[in-house]
Amino acid sequence: MSGAAVALAIVAVVVFGTIAFALNGVRRIKMDPSQYIVGGRSFGTLFLWVLLAGEIYTTFTFLGIAGLSYSQGAPAFYVMAYGGCAYVIGYFLAPAVWRVAKEKNLLTGPDFFETRYNSRALGVSVALLQFVMVVPYVALQLSGLQILLRIAGYGAYDATAAVSIAFLVLALFVFTAGLRGTAWASVVKDVFVLGAVIFAGVAIPIRFFGSPSAMLNRVLQVHPQMLVLPAGSAFHGTVWYVSTVLLSAIGFYMGPHSWSAVYSARSGDTLRRNAMLLPLYQGFLALMIFAGMSAVLIHPGLKGTAVDQSFLLVVQHYYPSWVLGLIAGAGALAALVPASALLLAGASVITKNVAGDAFGVATDDASRTLLTRVLVIVVALLALGVWLTAQKTVVELLLLYYNGVTQFMPGTVAAFLWKRATAWAVGAGIAVGLAVAIPLAASNVTPWGINAGFLALIANVAVMMTVSLGTRPRTVDA
Amino acid sequence: MLRVLLAAIPIVALTFAVPLVNRVEPRAFGMPLLLWWTVAWVLVTPAFLWTIGRLERRW
Repeated sequence: MSGAAVALAIVAVVVFGTIAFALNGVRRIKMDPSQYIVGGRSFGTLFLWVLLAGEIYTTFTFLGIAGLSYSQGAPAFYVMAYGGCAYVIGYFLAPAVWRVAKEKNLLTGPDFFETRYNSRALGVSVALLQFVMVVPYVALQLSGLQILLRIAGYGAYDATAAVSIAFLVLALFVFTAGLRGTAWASVVKDVFVLGAVIFAGVAIPIRFFGSPSAMLNRVLQVHPQMLVLPAGSAFHGTVWYVSTVLLSAIGFYMGPHSWSAVYSARSGDTLRRNAMLLPLYQGFLALMIFAGMSAVLIHPGLKGTAVDQSFLLVVQHYYPSWVLGLIAGAGALAALVPASALLLAGASVITKNVAGDAFGVATDDASRTLLTRVLVIVVALLALGVWLTAQKTVVELLLLYYNGVTQFMPGTVAAFLWKRATAWAVGAGIAVGLAVAIPLAASNVTPWGINAGFLALIANVAVMMTVSLGTRPRTVDA
Repeated sequence: MLRVLLAAIPIVALTFAVPLVNRVEPRAFGMPLLLWWTVAWVLVTPAFLWTIGRLERRW
């Protein structure tokens, strides 16, 4: 067999083997909406650890860290830093959200806003916004998968057909297995990704430089400016770094699919233990910085988005095809597992908050499960269609995801800390936050070196507080 | 109050303290100061959260 055939065959075995393993894990589970969407609120510390790590760390986390380390060096350290900060926030926030969800039997993120602010209009708006965010974010995972398959095929195949087939199989898997299936798939994904990360960050530096620290010495000689941040308000300087770490940490638990993962916990203490342990996973990703910096020495000269492929190209050039297959297999799982959680999140907000709450359709358990399942397929086809026909638009739509998720945070925190906050105020805050963030992000403007999303968040909070003081709250106790 | 302080320490170390440690020397295991400072704080964050949990008598 040719190298490409070996590598691609290994990727296929890894992907379909994982799906078979996960289907086996849910064989005897009877699906009602709570089981299908939030795993029956029964996940313990370890299972939840794996699920959260599984859905948070996408292909672009692990290729992106290497890519940013390759092209710029120290700015990539922000990924480490925000993980530590995010879990400190999560220790306090996630159990509080979980308790409301448990008491009021919530299924989706929008449910939280609808219940706490006693406003169907806010719930439906958040649901539609989350849905619009999910589609391009799934499409992004498909682009990640395509890059991996092209490299695993040694550039001989375009991989569009293979990506489409793998993704449709994934959609059928989610149709069958729900959130619990995603959690089982995450078990395999995390094992493969951890293996790939150790290989990339330890084995590659040892082979080429003798040790990771020898590799860093070499970087210091060749590219000394890569190991520190530019000062102050310079591009990717310390001001950008601090504002980006804070922004990313604040938005960390706000992804459309993160809500259902939080709801799936067995107890508040499960989420606290989880927040305590997840920084260890994040610390591990420091190895991807080593991988990216090794690649800049071994395989220099990549530009633009190609930098994200840097360490994969090193593997492709210098290692046997079966190693490439295993690494690309890990990467493929890192694209598909988060995609499965996203499909479920996109389908459930439409079923529960739009069809159910706004139109009174499919409100009993059996039809709600069925509609969510059907919508998983619909969302998958929509994401695939967008990806196949409008890849440029995907990049623009993603600005909505990256700047949008964090805008849900002020309303979430105010739910616990400020009784005076009202539905109109939270809605207006989100709208203003998006209106500030998206144009600035689209034109790459960073006023005073500060991440534009951070300024948008401040505008969101200011508007929310002002409007709250001018409107009458209709709150129920959260 | 102690809990808030314990939560704030790793966050401040990983954000606002960064301009103070944005240097190469002193290095540890070949890593520049900014990198090992960041990795070390991420890895000790669980100890802070564990202590907060103890203070709350959760474990």
